[in-house]
This record gives sequence, C-alpha cells and structure tokens, in this order.
Amino acid sequence: MSGSLWPLVKLSLARDRRSALSSAFGLAVGVASLVFFVSLGLGVGAIVREKVFPVDSSLVEVVPAQLSFGLLGGGTLDEATVARLSALPGVERAFKKMNVRAPAVTIYRGDFFGRPLHMGLEVLAVGVEPDFVRGDVLLGEFVDPGPDKPIPAIASTRLLEIYNKSFAPQRSLPQLSGQLLTGFIFPIDFNRSFVTSTPQSASAIPSQAQLVGVSDRGLLAGITIPLEAARRINAAANLDAKTFTGVALKATDPSRVPGIVAAVKAMGLRVDDQERRMSENAGAAVAISTSSLALLSVLICLLAAFNIAHAFSASVRAREKELGVMRAVGASRRALFRLVLVEALVLGVVGGVLGTALALAASLGLDLAAVHLVPEFPFKPDSWFQRPVWLLGGGVVLGVLAAVAGAWLPARRASRTDPARVLAG
Amino acid sequence: MIDARQLERHYDDGARGRLAVLDGVSLTVADGEFVAIVGRSGSGKSTLLHVLGGLDTDYRGQVTVAGTRLDGLADAALARFRNETVGFVFQSFHLMSGVSALENVLLPARFAANPVGALHARAQAALARVGLTAAHGARAPGQLSGGERQRVAIARALFSSPRLLLCDEPTGNLDAATADEVVALFKTLNAGGLTIVAVTHEERLRSAASRVLTLAGGKLS
Repeated sequence: MSGSLWPLVKLSLARDRRSALSSAFGLAVGVASLVFFVSLGLGVGAIVREKVFPVDSSLVEVVPAQLSFGLLGGGTLDEATVARLSALPGVERAFKKMNVRAPAVTIYRGDFFGRPLHMGLEVLAVGVEPDFVRGDVLLGEFVDPGPDKPIPAIASTRLLEIYNKSFAPQRSLPQLSGQLLTGFIFPIDFNRSFVTSTPQSASAIPSQAQLVGVSDRGLLAGITIPLEAARRINAAANLDAKTFTGVALKATDPSRVPGIVAAVKAMGLRVDDQERRMSENAGAAVAISTSSLALLSVLICLLAAFNIAHAFSASVRAREKELGVMRAVGASRRALFRLVLVEALVLGVVGGVLGTALALAASLGLDLAAVHLVPEFPFKPDSWFQRPVWLLGGGVVLGVLAAVAGAWLPARRASRTDPARVLAG
Repeated sequence: MIDARQLERHYDDGARGRLAVLDGVSLTVADGEFVAIVGRSGSGKSTLLHVLGGLDTDYRGQVTVAGTRLDGLADAALARFRNETVGFVFQSFHLMSGVSALENVLLPARFAANPVGALHARAQAALARVGLTAAHGARAPGQLSGGERQRVAIARALFSSPRLLLCDEPTGNLDAATADEVVALFKTLNAGGLTIVAVTHEERLRSAASRVLTLAGGKLS
C-alpha cells in the first residue's frame, strides 16, 4: 500500500472516533480475557506439572505383578528380570529399587534448627541406585557407608514443600531449604514400629540417617537411601534382600515410553503409573478449564469482529460518495479494499495491544494480591501466570485477525463502489 | 484528445425493458477544445462523460483518450488513467468533510502510483490557479462558500496536471455571479491549453464552449 494512504486512514478513524473506540474496546476485552485465561492456564498447568506432580516423562516405573505364574513369568523383579528390562528397545537405563522391608521409626529429642523438638515418627525407606538421584546429592557420595555410619538419605522435594507450608507453621518450626537440611543427622531404628507388631525374635537395628539433599525422585512419604544400604538392612532383618520392589526404566526418548510400557506388560509385570495418571488428570482438568475460558474469550473476539463488521458496513455505506470520488481521482478497487482493511488493522493493533496490556496488568496485579492476601499453602507459587512472548504476540495478532476478518466484507463492498452510480446527479 | 466510436450503453428500466442512453455515439474532440454537451435530463450526458473518463466500463464501442484505449482496460490501469490524465468536476463538488480544502486537493496524490514533488506546494499552486489562497486551503469545506467549494473541487481536478477536464453540470449548484466566475475560470484554463468537455443545462457554459453538441435519443448531434 502506498504510504500516502495513511492520512486517509487517520482521517476516517478520527471522523468515526466513537465507533472506532467502541470497536477497539470490544476487541481489547476479547483479547484481554483470552490472554489472561491462557496465561493463567499455562501458569497453573506448570505448577501441577513441575511442583505438585513432577513426573519425568521419560521414566517408566515397573513393579512386580500381583500374581505370579511361576515359569510363565509375571513373578518377582530379580536380577534376571532387570537384565531383560534393561535390554528392551528404547530403554537407556534401568534403576533398581528396593524398599526397606522392615518397619522403621525415628525418635528425635534435641535441637532442630534452633528449636527444641521431641518427636517420634514411623519412617518408610526405599533404596535406589546412586545414579538415580546423583544430580540432587549435595553432600558426599550416595553409597552405603556400612553399619556404623549414618546412611545418606534423600528427602522428597514435595515433602519439604508440605513441611514448610503446612506442617512447620502450625507447630512454630523453622522453614527449611534443601541446602539447610543437608548434613542433618537423625536417629532411625529399623525393625521397630509404633503401629505394627514386630516378632519377639526381631531385634531393633539402631542406625542413623544423614540428609544429603532433596529430590523430585525421592520417596514422597519417607526417605530414599542407597540401594546397598536397603539390601543390607533387609538382610540383617532376615527379610528378602534379593528381589526388587521396583525398577525405574529411563527411556531414550519420551516417545518410546508407550512401547516400553507395552513390552513391560507383555513380560507379566505391572507399570505403576499412578503419579503419571494423577498428573495427567490434573493437567487435563486445567487444560479443559483453560480451553473453556479461552473459547469464551474467542467468542467475545467473534462478537467484536461482528461489531466491527457492522460498524464498517455502516461506515462504507455512509462514505459511498467519498469512495466514488476516490475512484474518480485514481483509486483502484484494490486500493479501496486495502484502505478499509488498513483502517481495521489499525483498530486491531490498538485493541490487541490494549487487551494484552490489560491482561498483563491484571495478571501482575493478581500475583501481587496473592502474595499478600492468600495464606501460605503447599505448592503455593510465586506467580500463578505464565507470560510467554508468543502469548503476548498472539494477543495482538488475534486482535488484528478479528478486526480484519470483521472488515473483510465491508472492504469488498467498498472496493465494488460504482463511481458512475454514486456520483451521478 | 478524444476519439469515441459507436458507443452503446443500455440501462435496465424495469417494466419498460432496456433503455438505450447511448446508441451508437461517436465523438472526436481535438486537443485544446472546449466542448459543451447539452441535452434533457436523463438523456445520457453524464453517462457519456463517465465513459470518456473511464468511470463507467459497462458499454460497447471504442474509446481512446489522450492515446489510451480505455475499452477493455484493467481496473488498475483505468485507475492510473483517471489519476494522471483526466480530472473530474461534479455538480455537487463531492468534497471530503472533516478535512481541510488543501487535503481535498491532495486526494489524487494519495492514489498516485509514484507521487512526486512537494505535494503540499503543488496543492497550494493548484488552489492559487483557481484563485484561492493558503487561508482558503486551511479551511474545511463547510467553512467555504459554494463558489469556493467548487473552486476547491476544480483545484483537486487540476492537481495531477490532467490533459482533459470532464465537468458534470459544474455550475448547477451555484448562483449566477459565482457561476460566471467559474465559467470564466474554465475559459482561462482552456486558453492555457486544457481540453474541457462539460455537460450542462446552462446557457453561460454553452456560450463559453468552442463547440456545442446535443445528446438526444441516444444520438449525438
């Protein structure tokens, strides 16, 4: 388009200022609601995925079948089975897991980060191969140190979050971080329980555990210790120290996971996908809510487009003679078509930018209000929104598209103005 | 300047069927001529003017204006022809409201393929050519008299330095004194070499023309 058409665009918009403002405002409302709700959906979705259910999409958790068919398979997870699992196509690595099969308790009396603490807790523990959590270990080597030294233990990131946001405030206990916890030693007695009876012959195995880090891969309601430590404790308690309670299969690529799951099931084993399903269900709920609200916002944009179509139709009708004169002084049909579309484009940009800015302001305001007004709770985020550049740009593009779509037919009508008819007489 | 041959233009006229407003009209206008076309209302004078100016394309016959064959020309080429070769003056002025007279004069530049030169200076010169000042140019059409508005419309038609001025009842909405001024302006422009074809009912414009043609029954005589 010739740049010299801009004065005509400005003139037209200025002349129909009220109608132009109304059209731009309608677009801004639609764009603002869409950007706001998608931003909220992305934010909440990320919280669910990354904080509440941090599922590694390339990990498959294999557990033994509930029924064993002897020679037909479907039995326990022993070394031979793990070797077969490791050899499955698409499997990069198999990480063995073994629960400490003996009950365990901790009785803590003493200073707990500056506060006196007297507490007894039942403890669950699972042993894993060091490489499974190596990236999260902050202190020493994650290996079994032997019976007389504290066992390195990893706590769950989510457990720490629940402690900080729910447990600690109610009991006036200090807020803790992974780094602060690292090095903390607490007593732990294996083969002892507060809630179940242990055989008379079973004697407690006194020990200590030292926290060496926190991990998303840590046991949620317990501690994660080196596999060899779990094996040693089970053996000392005369319990099964050979078969595994689970195997985590790391896929070479997330796309290989379905194939691996099918192969595992074909081996008569089960896949523990409870966490994944919870994550997917929560994610789906967020996605459905977001989609519904986004759809509503798109409908608002459609209404805005209809409003623009109506306003531009009226404008083109009212400017019929003016458009005829433009034809007489040298405007082609295409030039008039573009003239009307550029007018709509300007409204679209204004509405899109205004709507996106409104959505940004509202989301920042709500984030600020949430920090001060919403009480602390586990997984409470710093921000409920995500504001990726593509979404902000998309808001402006949506405004432009809605405006241009609304003005399309009026622009065609303008381009078909018959100067001989409208200028006659 | 103009060579039109066997022009035919029909309108659907409801129950009366097709009405031939141009029925084999042929017309030749030489460079620098001032031709007046007269005839009764509805005789097809404006239609002939629109055909000659490339505004109306729904006709049969051949039209050549300033060396450009108009029949069959594509829309973009016709638009360029109207922008560069002809200027239109209408009875009702058809000025854009809400903008200055100067902006109205500049309108052809907005659609020029290659607008050249200092546009505002050219527009001011066009206004001066029709006897208006920069102060007139700064006013909105609503703030001008009828005669001044028609002069603005003429300045707009002259902006692109056309070779042919096509006028459709240019004095029809003016009082006698103002009409005389406009006619005098046309005579001056024609004396400067501009070819003018005007359709009119007015005697003063008819008498100013170097040749008068009458359109009746679809025929030109």
